[in-house]
Amino acid sequence: MKTLTAARPTAAEPVPRAKPRPRRHKGRTTAVWILVGPYALFLAVFGLAPAGYALWTSLVHDGSFSGGRNWAAVLDDYRLGEAAQNVTTYLLIWLPVLLLTVLSLAFTLHARPGRVTGALQLVYYLPGAVTGSAAALLWLFMVSPDSSPFGPLLKLMDVKTATDALSGGSLITVLAVMGVAVHAGGWIVVLYGALTALPRDVLEAAQVDGASAWRTMWHIKLPLVRTYVAFVLISSFASGSQVFVEPTVLSTGAPGQISPTWSVNQLAYVYATQDGDFGKAAALSLAMLAVGLLAAWIVISRTGMYATDSTKAG
Amino acid sequence: MKRWRAASLAAAVALALSGCGGTGGGSSGNSGNDKGELLVWVDNTRTPAAQQYKKAHPDLKIRIVTIPPDAGYVPTKVSLANRTKRGWPDVVFLTNPAEAATLASEKFGYAAPLDGLVPKSVRDGFAPGSLDTCTFGGETYCLRNDIAPTVLWYDTSLMKEYGYQVPKTWADYQRTGLKAAEEHPGTIVGAINGKYGAGTYFGSSGCPTRDTLSLTKVHIDLTRSSCTRVADLLQPMAEKKAVTTVVPTDPAFAKLGKENKILMLPGPAWFGDFMFGPAFKIPKGRIAAAPMPTWPGETKSYAGQVGGGAFLVSAHAGDRTKEAADLVRWMTTDATLQADQPTYPAFTAAAQKWGEAKAKDPYYAADPMPALTAAANALRPGFGAVRFEADWQASFNDTVGKAADSGADLRKTLASWQDKLEAAAKTSEYSVG
Repeated sequence: MKTLTAARPTAAEPVPRAKPRPRRHKGRTTAVWILVGPYALFLAVFGLAPAGYALWTSLVHDGSFSGGRNWAAVLDDYRLGEAAQNVTTYLLIWLPVLLLTVLSLAFTLHARPGRVTGALQLVYYLPGAVTGSAAALLWLFMVSPDSSPFGPLLKLMDVKTATDALSGGSLITVLAVMGVAVHAGGWIVVLYGALTALPRDVLEAAQVDGASAWRTMWHIKLPLVRTYVAFVLISSFASGSQVFVEPTVLSTGAPGQISPTWSVNQLAYVYATQDGDFGKAAALSLAMLAVGLLAAWIVISRTGMYATDSTKAG
Repeated sequence: MKRWRAASLAAAVALALSGCGGTGGGSSGNSGNDKGELLVWVDNTRTPAAQQYKKAHPDLKIRIVTIPPDAGYVPTKVSLANRTKRGWPDVVFLTNPAEAATLASEKFGYAAPLDGLVPKSVRDGFAPGSLDTCTFGGETYCLRNDIAPTVLWYDTSLMKEYGYQVPKTWADYQRTGLKAAEEHPGTIVGAINGKYGAGTYFGSSGCPTRDTLSLTKVHIDLTRSSCTRVADLLQPMAEKKAVTTVVPTDPAFAKLGKENKILMLPGPAWFGDFMFGPAFKIPKGRIAAAPMPTWPGETKSYAGQVGGGAFLVSAHAGDRTKEAADLVRWMTTDATLQADQPTYPAFTAAAQKWGEAKAKDPYYAADPMPALTAAANALRPGFGAVRFEADWQASFNDTVGKAADSGADLRKTLASWQDKLEAAAKTSEYSVG
C-alpha cells in the first residue's frame, strides 16, 4: 500500500517531455482532494469510526474483553434464523420487483417525454414521503380489505381482514409492496436523470437506423446506464437486507401483530434497546455490514462499475 | 500493515468516544439530574395530572416531558441513558407495565424498589393482586396507575332479540356461542388474538404462561389443566367461527360491530369506553358488563388482564428519590385525580370514586360498575410482567391463533406454544421452572 501511494509522483517525474503536465497534474490532485475530502471525512467520522467502535463493543462483555462471546451468542439465538429467513424471502420478492418497476417506469418516462413527466416523477416519489405514524395508519388501511382501494385484489388473495394481511406469508408480500412503493420513486428520479444525460447522437443514430423503441431501450439505453442499475442494486440490497422501517411502522399500526424481531436489523435493535445488550447488537450489525459489503463487491466487480475510459483501455 | 490497521482502529475508537462525549453534553436535553430538577416522563394522557402536581408544589423544581406511548420506548431511552450514564428520568410512566420486568432487571438496574418509599398501608390500598405485575422476588418496583381486568361485555339488545341468557359458566358461554354462530351466522362471542386472546382466556383461567417467580425465574407449564381447559373451550368455537382471530383494533372487527355481529366479547374494562362506542359504533343503551364466566370446579369468577399502566421511580434519583416517590404515590392514589382518569384506577378507593360517574354513564344499558369492581377484586394470580411480552403475543398468534384459523387441534398446539415461550424466556435470561 505504501508503494502504491508513493509510486505515482516518482513515475510522473522522469517524464521530461510533458512540461505543462506536472502543473496540470498538481492542480488535479488538489481538486481531487478537495472533492474527495468532505466525503473521506464523513466516511471516517460516520462510517469507519462507528464501525470500529462497534467492533470494539462487540468484543467486550460487562467491561472486559470477551473475544467471540457476543458473536457466538448472536449466532446461537433462535430468532436470528427466523429473521434471516424472513429477510431472504423479502429480498427475493422485493429486489426483482423493485428493479423491474424502477426500470420500466424510468424507461417509459424517457421514451415518452412530455409535460406530465415531471408530475409523474413527483407522484412516484410521494409514497416515500409519508413516514412515521401517518404511514402506519395509511398502510394499515391499505391492507384492510373493507377500506382499501385495493380491496377486491386483497380479497382475491384470500385476505379478508388486516389481521390476515399481517400474518403468515402475506405479511412478506405486504412489506414488499410497501418497500417498492416507498423506494421506487427516488430511484426512478435517479435513473431518469441518467437517461436524459445519455449522448443524443447515439440515440439519434439508432433512430435513423430504424431501431424500435424497444430495441433502443434493450440494446442502447440499458447497456449505457448499466452502472446506474448496478448502483440501484447495491444500495437496494443493502437497504433491503437491513429492512427495519417497514415492519416497525406496520407494527405500530397493529401492535402485537408482527414480531418485534421480524428482520435481522430489528433483532439488533431489540438487543440494544430491549435487552440492554450493546455487545450483541454491535456483533449482529457488523455481520450485516459484512453481508452488504460482500454483495457490493460482487456487483462492482461484475459490472465494472468504477471502470473509466483509461482503465477500460488498460 | 497490521500496525497500520491497529493504529487506525485505535484512532477510530478514540474519535468515536470523543464524539460521544462531545454530543452528550448539551443536546440530550434530559440533564435534569444536573440541575436538581425532578425529571418526570409521562404519556400524553398523564401529562395534565403531572402538571397539576407541579402547580401544587411550587417549591419543587419539576420538569415534565411527554413521551410517546409506543411499546419499547422507555426501555430504549433508559438503555441509552445507561450507556451514557446520564439522562435518566426520575419518574417514568409505563403504558406497557410488562416493561417493569426489563427496567428492574439487573442489566438495566433502573427501577428502584418502592417498599421502603411507599408505606405498606398505601400499597395495601391497591386492588388485590394488581401490584403483582410490579413485584419480583418479594420487592415492589412500581405502582399501578390503572388496571385492565377482563369482564364479559355483551349486547343486551341482541341477547334479548335472540332469546339468550348471559352465561354464568364457560360451558354456558360455549353453548351460547355455538348456538349464536349457528342461528345467526357471522355472530361472534370472543376474540382470540395476541394479548386479547391470551390475556382474556388463558389469563382468567390461571394458565401459567408468564408466571414470574423472580426477575430471573419464570414458571411456564401449558400441560396444566388450567391451560388445556381453555383449549377445549375454544376448539369447537373456533371451528364454528364463534370466536374470531381478528384483532379487535382491526377495521374488520369494527365492521362486525356495525353489522350487529358482536353478541358477547370478554375483554378488558377499557373496551367499554374505548372500543364499543368509538371503534365498533354500537349505539348507546345496548352494552352491559357481566362478570367473567366461572371455570369448571370453581364458583368464583376470575378476571384476566389486558393492559393498564404503571409508575416507576429511578434508582438513580439520588436525593430526589423521596420527592419522586411522593409524586408517584399521589398520581396513583389521589381519589379526586384518579376519578377523572380515562381508565379503571388501580387504587381501590379511587376506583370507587371513578365508578360513581361511570355508574350513571348513559352509554351503558346497565351500570357496569358491579361487574368491573368484582373483576378488579378477582384478578387471577400468576400473570406477571415478563421481558418477553412481545414474543408472548407473537408466539400465541403463531401457534394457538394459527391453529384456530386452520381448524387444527388446539390442545396439541399448546406444546408448540410452550416451546416458543420457553425459548423466548431463555433468550430474555430467565430460567424456566
